[in-house]
Amino acid sequence: MGRGWRPLLVGGAVVAGTFALAQAQVFEPSAPADPGVAGDAERGEAIFVSECAGCHGDGGTGGAGPALLETGLDATEVATIVQQGRGVMPAGNVTGQDQADVVAYVVSISSPAE
Amino acid sequence: MLIADVSETYTDIVTSVFSSTIAAKAWFATAAVILALVQLTTAARIYGKLRFLPERGRAIATTHRWSGRLAFLCTLPVFFHCVTILGFQTPDARVALHSLVGTFLYGVFVAKVLIVRDHSLPAWALPTAGLTLASLLVVLWLSSSLWYFTNVRFGF
Repeated sequence: MGRGWRPLLVGGAVVAGTFALAQAQVFEPSAPADPGVAGDAERGEAIFVSECAGCHGDGGTGGAGPALLETGLDATEVATIVQQGRGVMPAGNVTGQDQADVVAYVVSISSPAE
Repeated sequence: MLIADVSETYTDIVTSVFSSTIAAKAWFATAAVILALVQLTTAARIYGKLRFLPERGRAIATTHRWSGRLAFLCTLPVFFHCVTILGFQTPDARVALHSLVGTFLYGVFVAKVLIVRDHSLPAWALPTAGLTLASLLVVLWLSSSLWYFTNVRFGF
């Protein structure tokens, strides 16, 4: 085999390695989200407007992403989705206290109406 | 450090500058694409095209090399997040295309670097590899950063 094949072979090996690494998702946060941090729903609404409303619509009414109103999601479910992503929604859009605040807000609008 | 902590640490570092990890990726990818366009332009000048640009010479060659190095650096945080945290996903056509093209990016990059250093290869090999690499970057940018800027928000 001629030397000219070397770039293709090495490049192919890198492609295979990248694919394997992507399948492994070695740094994917696997631990369940801890919703224990107290969140401020009012502050979470402001963060939601800037970070989430682009897809979920103002007030979580839906858009490119699903509506969040009255879905019955609890804090653990919301925190897990925010941390790990779901479908086209990327993981880790908001983190730390911001995440706790957004979770508190989303839970407040997810609660089924009385 | 636990593996789960790595993504958290990465997120903390990135969000100390950007509003979210996604915004960071969108801007790093944008920088990489701009630098790739500089690469294309300077490469075209090195090959004797675009005569309105400064004379071929050391400045063009240096700009070409450093734009490539910086573009590569800009892709690293994007690679880390996309490959090691998000992984290969196919929930819709955009993400599937992005995952597929992204898988090939570093392979084509490595092949291009090897071709640069191998003077025994035919003359068309290097521009072909360079154009392929730039095209992959542009497709990745269109399917991620542009989508983010137009569908989510345009900001840091």
